[in-house]
Amino acid sequence: MSDAVLDLPSTREEAWRWADLGGLAAAAALAPIAAPEADFLDLPGAKLLFLDGKLDEARSDLHRVTLIELGGDEHALGRRATGTGWSLRLDAQAVTHPVQIVHVATGRENHLPSEIVLADDAAAEIVETFVGAGWQNRFTRTQLGKGARLMRSVRLLQPAGFVSLREAAQVGEAASLITVFLGAGGQGSRIDAQLTMAGEGAFVEYGGALLTSAEQKQECAVRVNHAQPNGASRQVWRAVAADRSAVSLAAAVEVARHAQKTDGEQSLRGLLLDRTATVNLKPELEIFADDVKCAHGATVGELDQRALFYMQSRGIPRTRAQAILTRAFVADALERIGDETVRKGFEADADAWLDAAL
Amino acid sequence: MLKIEDLHAEIDGKPILKGLTLSVNAGEVHAIMGPNGAGKSTLGYVLGGRPGYEVTEGSVTFDGQDLLELEPHERAAAGVFLGFQYPVEIPGVSNVQFLRESLNAQRAGRGEKPLSGAEFLKLARSQADALGLDQEMLKRPVNVGFSGGEKKRNEMVQMGIIDPKFAILDETDSGLDIDALRIVGDGINRIMRQPTKAVLLITHYQRLLDYVKPDFVHVLADGRITRSGGAELAHQLEREGYAEIAA
Repeated sequence: MSDAVLDLPSTREEAWRWADLGGLAAAAALAPIAAPEADFLDLPGAKLLFLDGKLDEARSDLHRVTLIELGGDEHALGRRATGTGWSLRLDAQAVTHPVQIVHVATGRENHLPSEIVLADDAAAEIVETFVGAGWQNRFTRTQLGKGARLMRSVRLLQPAGFVSLREAAQVGEAASLITVFLGAGGQGSRIDAQLTMAGEGAFVEYGGALLTSAEQKQECAVRVNHAQPNGASRQVWRAVAADRSAVSLAAAVEVARHAQKTDGEQSLRGLLLDRTATVNLKPELEIFADDVKCAHGATVGELDQRALFYMQSRGIPRTRAQAILTRAFVADALERIGDETVRKGFEADADAWLDAAL
Repeated sequence: MLKIEDLHAEIDGKPILKGLTLSVNAGEVHAIMGPNGAGKSTLGYVLGGRPGYEVTEGSVTFDGQDLLELEPHERAAAGVFLGFQYPVEIPGVSNVQFLRESLNAQRAGRGEKPLSGAEFLKLARSQADALGLDQEMLKRPVNVGFSGGEKKRNEMVQMGIIDPKFAILDETDSGLDIDALRIVGDGINRIMRQPTKAVLLITHYQRLLDYVKPDFVHVLADGRITRSGGAELAHQLEREGYAEIAA
């Protein structure tokens, strides 16, 4: 299957200009490693462990999740993820315990489709964790009915390799989709998302923190499409890059002609821990309606040297001061995680990254 | 306690301190006065160890230890506190977190046990009360949205919590109205006027010295101390101006 890497789009295409296509191939060629420990958070509910893209039944507890045959989509990465995948379908007004999914890779490549379908007023919480090495490719199709609510948190903690996530979502009337990513491993990553606010008054919040060091590259390419009026979307992304690493954030908001009263907000901020690191930011607005509010901000900077000295002068060692300031920088992106256990877990992962990087 | 000898320092190759000599003993309050650009703030930053301030000649010892060899945080752990003329805003970091990290880092540096959250909060609240700083401000991000006077009070709250042996206070009186000046002056006396402690007050004006009575007053002009005297020298400066006396 590795040969197929070659038919990926070229970086001459705008949506792929910062993509690390070589990183995909290199990850897929990684030599096998022993499976690392699976890292479930202390939450009730379903626990699914996928080992190289296949469910490890002995260590999984499906609850309301099922395994079914799923197709991918037309996207270059999304179309690879077809076959047996996981599905969470909830009936109207159903509420489930959290669903935790750990994706363990031991090298090479694996592809897994999934779907989340919430009927009207249903609510779900999903936490996904990626560990191991190799290329893990995922396609997730999400469909939210009227008033449905999904809170999803995804952390990328592979020490090596690559994680690519293709996400396609249809958000119904007054439904709410919140997704928070944390890239705090050593892997490369690419998050490709197409989120359509298909019903009136929908709410989408989609963002996260990507932390990179060494030669690592992580990126996202997100399009939020306001197809109906009165929708609100927020994209809050924080990028932290050390050494010679690079983070690229491309976030677009599209507002259809009749999607009046749209409230779109984008906040893309980058922090360079070293002058050799790179952060690329591309906020994009395509607005065809005339009564909308779309705020966007994009900034890249370094840690405030005056603040560092101020903290040092109070007795805080420089590396600790850097860690505190960097954590404060990414806090905005992680604070949306509603479940305290999950948020604390993600914050601990960010702390661990900082301890290692600084 | 502090011994500065023939100190020369420069910023970006530009000499600012040109042979400054000063001794401060335990139990003493010294005021450094002088015109703008004389090097007063530079002296504070050099003693604090701010990057970019390069010492080219001379020595500074603190309790017999070479102060210039120490990293800024090690100077703090040794007992040196630098009160900033312009306290820095730190968005996203609460005052409580900042102060607790500071105190516990210093305690760790001295081999002492960290204070628990409850112990720390009790200490922070009592110091905030003593300086008339609203308790709510302890929860807010460090100095963000604080008025000039609140920032200076916050510096003094920090000093009270950290309880240093030696404080360098750089224009702590600027930006204070007359009531705040008295509160801050009382704070300095309460926290630092002790036989085992000492203070270097860097100031432009006499007015803070009405509350914190100095034992010695020095005039800093063009990178050197050009004149030293008792508290009466400050009054003379206020009357006659620096031009006459510094020369």
